[in-house]
Amino acid sequence: MTMTPPLRKFVLAVHLTSSVGWIGAVVAYLALAVATRTSQDAQMVRAAFLALELITRFVLVPLALASLLTGIVQSLGTPWGLFRHYWVLISLLLTIIATLVLLTRLEPISFLAGIAAEADSADLLALEADLLHPVGGLLVLLVIQVLNVYKPRGLTPYGWRKQQERRKQHEQRTVLQP
Amino acid sequence: MSQTHTKPDRESTYSTPRWVKVLGIIVIVLALLVVVVLVTGLGGEHGPGRHAPSGDAGGDTPPSSVTEGHTPSGADLGVYTPPIEHGVQQL
Repeated sequence: MTMTPPLRKFVLAVHLTSSVGWIGAVVAYLALAVATRTSQDAQMVRAAFLALELITRFVLVPLALASLLTGIVQSLGTPWGLFRHYWVLISLLLTIIATLVLLTRLEPISFLAGIAAEADSADLLALEADLLHPVGGLLVLLVIQVLNVYKPRGLTPYGWRKQQERRKQHEQRTVLQP
Repeated sequence: MSQTHTKPDRESTYSTPRWVKVLGIIVIVLALLVVVVLVTGLGGEHGPGRHAPSGDAGGDTPPSSVTEGHTPSGADLGVYTPPIEHGVQQL
């Protein structure tokens, strides 16, 4: 199942946009999360918590799902395959893990945003957004990015078997054709 | 700097690339660290309840005055505890 070049380029463009956009959105999320911990302005803290929920729900989650989906389509529609090369397989696993962790964070983030929306100034300044998950997520996304840019060599056992099969078929064909 | 450039993809016998082994070791070490932190409680309580006032014994809980009337749904939210209880737990 190989995509035509125009379709492949389109999927690649969407994949790159969503993947890099995901990283950018996490950085924006981090800036707001830091603001909830450092700002002494209660209204700023409230706004940051509300923005964290909006960014998560309407930016991070859609970009994560788009990145995962287009990554799978891109792999299956090109000779790279999904399970043949370690860099593709590891990128897939890390993207799935990052997406699942992100989805589990949706409800707690919404909960805190709900609290921040109604809290008074003193309570607002006592609230703090989580930094562990976004920092960890950013590191994982950067690892994926490096893998995708450098594409380090290395076939999986499955990819190696497939390559051997193709090589044998090619050799048989060349023997049969004098 | 003379060296023979080998192409792993074209070798006749299969071997796992070195970078995959290194990455695997890093992942295992990190996973063990996370397990140790969770088991020993060094990282505090896991879950949304951790996002708490820092002056409150490790600060992982929204002030109880603001959580009143908010009932978080989902198992992950069940870890929210009032600040006083949390402070006792830290002792």
